[in-house]
Amino acid sequence: MTGSYLFRLLCLSMASFFLAHLALGAALSLMAPAAIRLSERLRPQLAARLLLLLRLAPTGLSLLMVAGLLAPSYLWLEPRATTEPIGWVCLAAAALGLAVWSLSITRALRAAGRSVRHIRHCQRSARKTYLRGETAPVWLMEDPAPLVMLAGVLRSRLVISRKVVSALSAEQLSAVLRHERAHSRSRDNFKRLLVLLAPGMLPFFRGFGRLERAWARVAEWAADDFAVAGDSRRSLTLAAALVRVARLGAVPSPPVLVTSLMAKGIDLSARVDRLLHFVPATAKPGGVAKLLSGGGVLLGACVITLMAQPVTLRAAHEFLEELIR
Amino acid sequence: MRFLKSTTVEQTRPSQPPLGHLETTVMDLLWERGESNVHDVVQRLHRPLAYTTVMTTLDRLYKKGLLDRRKPARAFLYSPRWSRMEWEQKRAGEFVAGFLAGPQPAGELLISCLVDAVGQQDEALLDELEKKIRLKRKELYQRRRP
Repeated sequence: MTGSYLFRLLCLSMASFFLAHLALGAALSLMAPAAIRLSERLRPQLAARLLLLLRLAPTGLSLLMVAGLLAPSYLWLEPRATTEPIGWVCLAAAALGLAVWSLSITRALRAAGRSVRHIRHCQRSARKTYLRGETAPVWLMEDPAPLVMLAGVLRSRLVISRKVVSALSAEQLSAVLRHERAHSRSRDNFKRLLVLLAPGMLPFFRGFGRLERAWARVAEWAADDFAVAGDSRRSLTLAAALVRVARLGAVPSPPVLVTSLMAKGIDLSARVDRLLHFVPATAKPGGVAKLLSGGGVLLGACVITLMAQPVTLRAAHEFLEELIR
Repeated sequence: MRFLKSTTVEQTRPSQPPLGHLETTVMDLLWERGESNVHDVVQRLHRPLAYTTVMTTLDRLYKKGLLDRRKPARAFLYSPRWSRMEWEQKRAGEFVAGFLAGPQPAGELLISCLVDAVGQQDEALLDELEKKIRLKRKELYQRRRP
């Protein structure tokens, strides 16, 4: 099959994205257990950042490779006048690349749609109000389920049912609201959208499940830590609030882009135990975070410098010539 | 859970026949040790049993579809067709399916019984967590007292 200049660029971009993403994804799947073990030794906030970064790394690096190296090398070195046949391997890889992207975009759009419908439902059936002692508004719902959730990807709203407000003490309610605001502050719903947008390794096989579950767990822990703010008494209050809300009954499963206090798949017992054995923070966070971010910036600078070299662009073009055959 | 043992079970008998005591013991042994012949099973049983009794039991398990067998030499080698987990899942699935296929009240009773059981377990867990919180609060209070 022969293709025009732009069609070949599109095929090569999709095919090289798919192959790079598959290789990086497979490597990440092998690394995932060790990364999860490492994250358990870090502060939850840092662990959440690390796990999210790893989860998004195959997509980010593959996109960087295609947009920053392969596409420029093609545009610079490929003669425009020629028509060249495209091999079946390249076409198949491009089709798979297109499929993984289509699936992930569809998944993210559907999740965003569900989230928007959920917010509209909340706005129709809830009343915007200020709870005593709180400066930010909440949406108060007359719902039989014990709801405490953060809805909205870019502009988040805190939704709470009257049942929860009546059941919790002022101190417990404050701890719960602080927990949800921590999710809002760290933009966890937006991060969920990014995770949904990041393609799977193969069509209908996402992989990365362990990493995503581990991230969701440490994101909850990080929000717990923010809510208790290093205070053992607040830690006990939040633990008591969690148990109290759990006693109020089952929570209907929220849409993917909505964060719920009683998050699905998060072990309540482990979470309460963690809060009970809370050690007040004394040292400033720093060492590992600084090392990781410094290392990341240095590596990024090296990669970008290397990518801009003519010799790298020529090598990339040779790779593209091999791929298209 | 008493009603599970009542006549409803008889009415909705699962397609997998129940196992006797010796059959269960032999299955446990094969799941633990893997492929074995009659002689191996006789040797590993905790009570002395005739070779022919064990042979008949293995043959019956083979006919019930629980075991595979092959004959590389003179004696048959038996191995479980399913892992223990798969077998338990199959049994539980057939048991529940049998109930749900039965008359309407039987299915509803089973579901309500399962919901109750899960709810009771949840309540017990929450009681336990609350107890831990109370103890921790007491400990914290005592530590803060001058």
